Amino acid sequence: MKASKKFSINKKNNNLIKFLIGAIALLFLLFIINFFVSPIENYFYTISYPIQKVFWVAGESSSTFLGSLIKAGSLAKEVENLKIENEKLLSRLALLQSTEEGAEAQNQISAFCQNNGFKFVMAGVVGLEDNDVLSINKGSVDGISENMPVVNQQNVLVGKIFKVYKNFSKIMLISSKDSVINVKVQKGDDSEEIDGVVKGIGGLRAYLDLIPISNNIEAEDVLVTSAIEKAFPKDLLVGKIISKQKDDQNPFQQAQISLFFDIKASDNLFVITNYKR
Amino acid sequence: MWQKTTAIVIGFYILALLQNSFFAYFNILGAVPNLVFALFFCFAFFSSPAKFFSGVIPLAFLSGFLLDFFSSTLLGASVVLLIIIGFLVKRTQLLLKEGRDSYPFVYFVVLFLAYFVLYQVLFMLYLRFIDPMHISLIFDIKFLIATIYSLVFSIIGFWGFKNNVRKI
Repeated sequence: MKASKKFSINKKNNNLIKFLIGAIALLFLLFIINFFVSPIENYFYTISYPIQKVFWVAGESSSTFLGSLIKAGSLAKEVENLKIENEKLLSRLALLQSTEEGAEAQNQISAFCQNNGFKFVMAGVVGLEDNDVLSINKGSVDGISENMPVVNQQNVLVGKIFKVYKNFSKIMLISSKDSVINVKVQKGDDSEEIDGVVKGIGGLRAYLDLIPISNNIEAEDVLVTSAIEKAFPKDLLVGKIISKQKDDQNPFQQAQISLFFDIKASDNLFVITNYKR
Repeated sequence: MWQKTTAIVIGFYILALLQNSFFAYFNILGAVPNLVFALFFCFAFFSSPAKFFSGVIPLAFLSGFLLDFFSSTLLGASVVLLIIIGFLVKRTQLLLKEGRDSYPFVYFVVLFLAYFVLYQVLFMLYLRFIDPMHISLIFDIKFLIATIYSLVFSIIGFWGFKNNVRKI
């Protein structure tokens, strides 16, 4: 009886020791692997890129096809075209307004970059990760480095580079929970400039905050990056107001916004490589 | 044997790529299904307890690394979490009294929901305390949609596995 109990305790101890050794070995292995994480991940993305690109294109085709079915025929395509057209018009509006204010601007990405002396690298989108992170197929060998702003061809702000590999990079979208950007509300009339911030909440969504309660904002007002924004050039399109939330006890008002950046219409993005504040 | 192993590795790899590219276009409020976790859970649920070290742990390594490659964090966090989840699934199954059906659907759904939420919570806690990105611990509509979205695919996996349980 005594011997059996002793054996049982020894067996338990042996299992515990085996478990502890296994756990320590596992953690040590994972610790070592993380010293080589950058080349490993770059190698993984390089191998996966062709297949991932095929899936990305397949997803785009499938969603367009299903969207067309759901929305009866060509309605989805028409909405998409109108959306792009609308972004172009809003871009032109931003250009006209900032010209009035004496600033240089643009109505297309090339003009935008030319006017501002910006250089850009065009990159293809590879995948969307959790936490509002996009992968693109350009990396450090293409001159990309961390914190570079990323826009699309309609002059819409997408986000900034936050991780760079040799051949790939990751973009933190402006909808990321870690993203806060200074914006100004662009109204149709010549009223004074209203400044606020757009904060990401994840799930490809964001909201407008810190608008003084005395300022009048309305649905459909357009948001562009402010001149006080350090991470991004000014006058980039961000989104438009959907509805405002005003509370007289709060010194600031908030608003629900719709971001102009659309994951489903962003095959190619532009990384501004020489923007410095 | 090697054909089966190769098929499993390729299957997990394809699902990881699908979840990060194809399903990006089918996101619901930014949430996409966690196909890798769903497949891992199906394997863990249907594998015999005797195959924990030879089956569940290697799969935890494979699926954990794939999840970490696409999560912008240190490699290995998901490996550790999936080993813990796999171990707990087998322990919970042993504790639940087996009836005529060794793999009841209700058990599967309840266990999947519980362990998917546990995985997400542990991963968010890990990000919050270890990762410099400091992503907040938020149970929002996206979290709910991601859970339901993944559950739908895990249920498809459940019926696939259930019909072939003797081959696993």
